[in-house]
Amino acid sequence: MQHAFKLGDAEHNTALSRSADAYRLHLGEQVIAIDLRTGADGRAWLTIGERHVEVVIATRGDDVFVHLDGEAYQLRYQHPLDRLAAQAGGSAEDHIRAPMPGSIVAVQVKAGDVVTKGQTLLVMESMKMETTIGAPRDGVIEAVSYEKGQTFDRDVLLLSLVSGDKK
Amino acid sequence: MSALPDVSKWPFQSVLVANRGEIAVRVLRTVQKLGLKGIVVYHAADRGTAAVKMADQAIEITGSTPVASYLDGAQIIAAAKACGAGAIHPGYGFLSENKGFCQAVEAAGIKFIGPTPEQIDLMGDKVRARNFVEKAGFPVAPSAIEDDDPTTFVERSRKVGAPLLIKPSAGGGGKGMRIVRDLSLLEQEIVRGRSEGQRYFGDGRLYCERYIENPRHIEVQVLGDGQGDVVHVFERECSVQRRFQKIVEETPSPALSPEQRDKICETAAGIARSIGYRNAGTVEFIFGQQGEFYFLEMNTRLQVEHPVTEQITGIDLVLQQLRVAAGDKLGFEQADVKAKGHSIEFRIYAEDAARGYTPTTGPVLVLHPPQGEGVRWDSGVLQGGEVTSAFDPMIAKLIITGTDRADAIAKGDAALRDTVLLGCKTNTAFLRRLIAHPAFVAGDVHTGFLDANPQIAAEPELPSATLQALLGAAALSTRPMRDVADAVPDMHAAMGAWRN
Repeated sequence: MQHAFKLGDAEHNTALSRSADAYRLHLGEQVIAIDLRTGADGRAWLTIGERHVEVVIATRGDDVFVHLDGEAYQLRYQHPLDRLAAQAGGSAEDHIRAPMPGSIVAVQVKAGDVVTKGQTLLVMESMKMETTIGAPRDGVIEAVSYEKGQTFDRDVLLLSLVSGDKK
Repeated sequence: MSALPDVSKWPFQSVLVANRGEIAVRVLRTVQKLGLKGIVVYHAADRGTAAVKMADQAIEITGSTPVASYLDGAQIIAAAKACGAGAIHPGYGFLSENKGFCQAVEAAGIKFIGPTPEQIDLMGDKVRARNFVEKAGFPVAPSAIEDDDPTTFVERSRKVGAPLLIKPSAGGGGKGMRIVRDLSLLEQEIVRGRSEGQRYFGDGRLYCERYIENPRHIEVQVLGDGQGDVVHVFERECSVQRRFQKIVEETPSPALSPEQRDKICETAAGIARSIGYRNAGTVEFIFGQQGEFYFLEMNTRLQVEHPVTEQITGIDLVLQQLRVAAGDKLGFEQADVKAKGHSIEFRIYAEDAARGYTPTTGPVLVLHPPQGEGVRWDSGVLQGGEVTSAFDPMIAKLIITGTDRADAIAKGDAALRDTVLLGCKTNTAFLRRLIAHPAFVAGDVHTGFLDANPQIAAEPELPSATLQALLGAAALSTRPMRDVADAVPDMHAAMGAWRN
């Protein structure tokens, strides 16, 4: 069965199976013997092919955090059902998400407003600087999630937009 | 100089730290070392952090936002009175350079660990500070000050010449600063600078000054006892910045000849002496390619990067702050201040360098600070904690001290590699790329260095062996994948068992 992890912006398909004494990692045409021995405080020994490397691993929900060769990485497990749903579509532009954590300086629109591409929807502040969020296309504001002064994390939904003709 | 003083006759026996995070921990360390009682105030968002755990007493404060609670001077003074605190240390940021707070603390019969209100007032306003320093005969950059005559401000700014820098008069920390290279955009940028100044500082007044291309930022640590004695404690090179904010600081500066070092350090001490300065303070200079330097500003508080100075001189700057606030004289002279070795501070931030250094958030699931000789880790974050967007995203300061600069860089690379923090993206890999860059190794940097070299921030492509290892580790740590694999035993393994 194919699974996938998201690392940065790239998605990587992979599968895991049992071998006589450990596991096999399937990557495209490659099949690599792997094993993981976990120790205290997240430390672990990873065997991959002929290599043995010390890693530190932590998990939280679908996220796996790995410290390897002096660097930390985050891999997010992609649930098979979610991947199916994502393939079915829905335009990302309908949902305007926060490019970074910050706070709202001004909200220029309200639900039901007709907006044109490029029009300022809201002004956010992050890293001590203002950023203006503009409409990615013409449409109608469906919902505004935050009010002036509120803070938010990266990737949260700030505004949603529907096509004018859907209304 | 850092021998422990007898505190029994000091006018205060307890110190409340009106701050949070790593600096609260840093101040408490010295307060407790002296046998004084260490108290902190904290917002609920900081419950369970290192400072709150370490303090002898912790008092919760509230506010409309976490930051607002640390800016609520009246509430903090009330907390200090309620617990009988004899002194308040403001740390850096928040209320540390607020004249009104300083006055209110003293009016409440509590010692303010800092300068006099008049000194805060003079140096807190950039325009007034600059005018004072210029009149006292020290070097300042060509500039135009709006307050001198608001009606001719645009015209006078134009005369300063491009490139120029617009700054809010009441500002600090790079907030609201704008560089103008094309004078046709001057008026538009002034309008923007005013709006940002108004919002951040409640004060839209501006000033313009000549922007020095590819300048270095060099600052000098000073100490004064307010009784006539002032010494400098050498310089810090803080040129590596992103978004106008320092990210790596070191001492000594690789840019200065011994003569230049004497000159800039003596200038700083002279400025502090001319105001009879009391407290630890930092005089910041802009340093040009030809060795010219101009006064930038004076910070009348402990600086984030103070540890590098402590590491090479052995002087505990917080201890000196406490001593002079208690009324002690400095008790040592310039010739007694000696430096040995090289120290570099790396600011470890929760941020994504490759995405424009945007802040990141997340839980601190695993934290293994680096260890070893010459390694100092100043942090207010503990394993099990959380990095939120409520505060500045600095997680820790990693301070590395070596016999010389090359040794400190090599040790720094090893310590950054050994720093394990999982759950929240940090800039440690970026910092390693930065200190491996030939220009950094040569000490040839300026404040625009990172903007001019964006490839340092970009993440290199992952080698396929690394990708394989990551996917292998992730697959074996993901329950649904292991369950599926375990449900279908390997045929040979199953046959082997069956054949036995």
